[in-house]
Amino acid sequence: MSQEEYYKKIEKKIKEWEEIYAKHKERPEKFETYSGIPVKPLYTPLDVKDKDYLKDIGFPGLPPFTRGVYPTMYRGRFWTIRLFSGHGTPEETNKRWKFLYDHGETGFSAAVDALTFNGIDPDDPRADLEVGTAGVPLYCIDSMFALTDGLPIDKISVALVVEPFSSAPICAMYFNMAQMKGYEIKSLMGTCQNDICTQTIGYVPYKNVAPPHLLRLACDLIEWCTAQKNVPKWHPINFTTYNYREGGIDAVQEIGFGFANAIAHIDNLIERGWTVDDFVNRLAFHLSASKDFFEEIAKYRAARRIWYKLMKDKYGAKDPRSFQFRFHIQTAGSSLTQQQPLVNVIRTAYQALEAVLGGCQSMHTNSYDEALCLPSEEAVLIALRTQQVIQDEIRVCNTIDPLAGSYYVEWLTDELEERIWNYLGKIESAGGVVKALESGWLYREMRDAFKKRQSRIESGEEKVIGVNRYVMEEEVFENVFRTNPEAAKIEIERIKKLKARRDNRKLEEILDKLRKVCEREENVLPVVMEATREGATVGEICDIYREIFKVWEPPIVV
Amino acid sequence: MAGPIRVLMSKPGIDGHWRGIVVVSRGLRDAGMEVIFGGFQTCEQIVETAIEEDVDMIGLSIHSGAHIGYTKRVVDLLKEKGLNGHFLLLVGGAIPSKDFEVLKEIGAANVYGPGSLIKDIVAFIKEHVKK
Repeated sequence: MSQEEYYKKIEKKIKEWEEIYAKHKERPEKFETYSGIPVKPLYTPLDVKDKDYLKDIGFPGLPPFTRGVYPTMYRGRFWTIRLFSGHGTPEETNKRWKFLYDHGETGFSAAVDALTFNGIDPDDPRADLEVGTAGVPLYCIDSMFALTDGLPIDKISVALVVEPFSSAPICAMYFNMAQMKGYEIKSLMGTCQNDICTQTIGYVPYKNVAPPHLLRLACDLIEWCTAQKNVPKWHPINFTTYNYREGGIDAVQEIGFGFANAIAHIDNLIERGWTVDDFVNRLAFHLSASKDFFEEIAKYRAARRIWYKLMKDKYGAKDPRSFQFRFHIQTAGSSLTQQQPLVNVIRTAYQALEAVLGGCQSMHTNSYDEALCLPSEEAVLIALRTQQVIQDEIRVCNTIDPLAGSYYVEWLTDELEERIWNYLGKIESAGGVVKALESGWLYREMRDAFKKRQSRIESGEEKVIGVNRYVMEEEVFENVFRTNPEAAKIEIERIKKLKARRDNRKLEEILDKLRKVCEREENVLPVVMEATREGATVGEICDIYREIFKVWEPPIVV
Repeated sequence: MAGPIRVLMSKPGIDGHWRGIVVVSRGLRDAGMEVIFGGFQTCEQIVETAIEEDVDMIGLSIHSGAHIGYTKRVVDLLKEKGLNGHFLLLVGGAIPSKDFEVLKEIGAANVYGPGSLIKDIVAFIKEHVKK
């Protein structure tokens, strides 16, 4: 029997089966993915019959990378367990890092407070109440020494969760600290987010500069670290689609935003005279593991394939490493509820499993108390153990990409790929990411997504246990983690000491040099390295950006 | 006084989590209220705007963990002006339920944490603003 005849036979059988199925009742539900893709009751070989295994699926570590970026994947090495943490002061965050490291964490990640995010120092009266409340304040080189004290930063990678407005000074402080401790920065491993979209639509920026300047600052870091090989092992950018996804955009939009964002950066660096192979292999992504189990897995597989095609066809990359779409995962904070908080452990575990079945390189799992407060030690330990159970107990890592060949997953991977290409085209028609930010187009997309998700929850279409399903009377959650109320006082003291110690006249000269560099739109990194080494604060450097580039008000629409 | 209920929606401080304030502002507008979108404002600006715009309600959206400090600051400024209780004050954001009572003691009429529904917020405002 030929393949064609065999498919005809299946087709006939499907029709028979469909007639039987039609005689039964379905639950009254709209069967679709969260991004609105209609889902059939059954998938069969016919749904994937046009697929060419060698061309479309292939092998791990080989084009088109659908099955994973490395040949061995988790049989060679597990993903990095990297829990996003930061609170109070650098010293307290250091303590939390040590706690996690002692219990098996394999990568560090610093969540910064709203001041550090926005390039504001802790002695600024506009933000006195927010020092250390939603992350760790990191605004001078002394903060970096305190943050990493006693930790093996030459062996374990560090993620600095900072965005383009303040990423240059904060990374520079980190690099300087490492050099002063005697490490070669050429061998430093780590990453920073440095994502213009996180800065502008993931959060709303407070007194930042306009997107074209943010893009240039982000690219300065990529150029200096990677293309110019000053910190070649550093990932100078993580396109953090997680942060925009959290607002309520869907899986298709998430990857569309992320790739449009990457394109803007790649184009900027090509304009500077670099070739794509000079820097692309160090660009990384930070995606969400959200609520739709199979759709998320298909998303990771589709994203790897799209990235490969983009690099090969659009940019003509040659270095095989340029084709590898590597990503960190954060389980979806927006899926967690304040109601019945222990249920969050279950949600997070399923999302973590998605990420592993989807082939992530590193992961943060949320703590069950994160809809209430920053995580307590007790809660964060469960989040850590959630990943360790997957690594050590359930044997899902025995084989690579175990869902490949599933009619549904392969079909969904193709479906997502097509929809992502279309959405990417839509962003490009809106002028690309930078124009779409300035015109407000991306803000409208976000606003519409916020609204859609809320109305789905209000109507019960999106079921949320504890919110619109199985609601029950509950006791007040008592074990609320509180950040150090003295943090502002401690940090103001630190900044006073720093300013008394440093050579303020010398620093003024360096900052003047920075003004000129900004005016000429040259790479800020060399002078920012010099300034932070001499004790310049993040606020002082960002104030120069504000002075030269001017403050930008984002076109938010309600 | 006739006319729609007027509300001021603001984010005291500099934290940029914006989904909450946008979703609620939009929801209140869809429910027929007139929304003045303050965005980022200092506590002083919030009180000034509320007076100038003659609003019925002030909504504070706080996700930074500093909800007690900011709410207290707004209420203290209202007290200084002899306007405590003049506006219906609602606070929302990433706020643990344990702090709801604390915020109410400070002067919030109600508090909305994650998982709150717009219809409940609208119903509460309509019940408490007499127009």
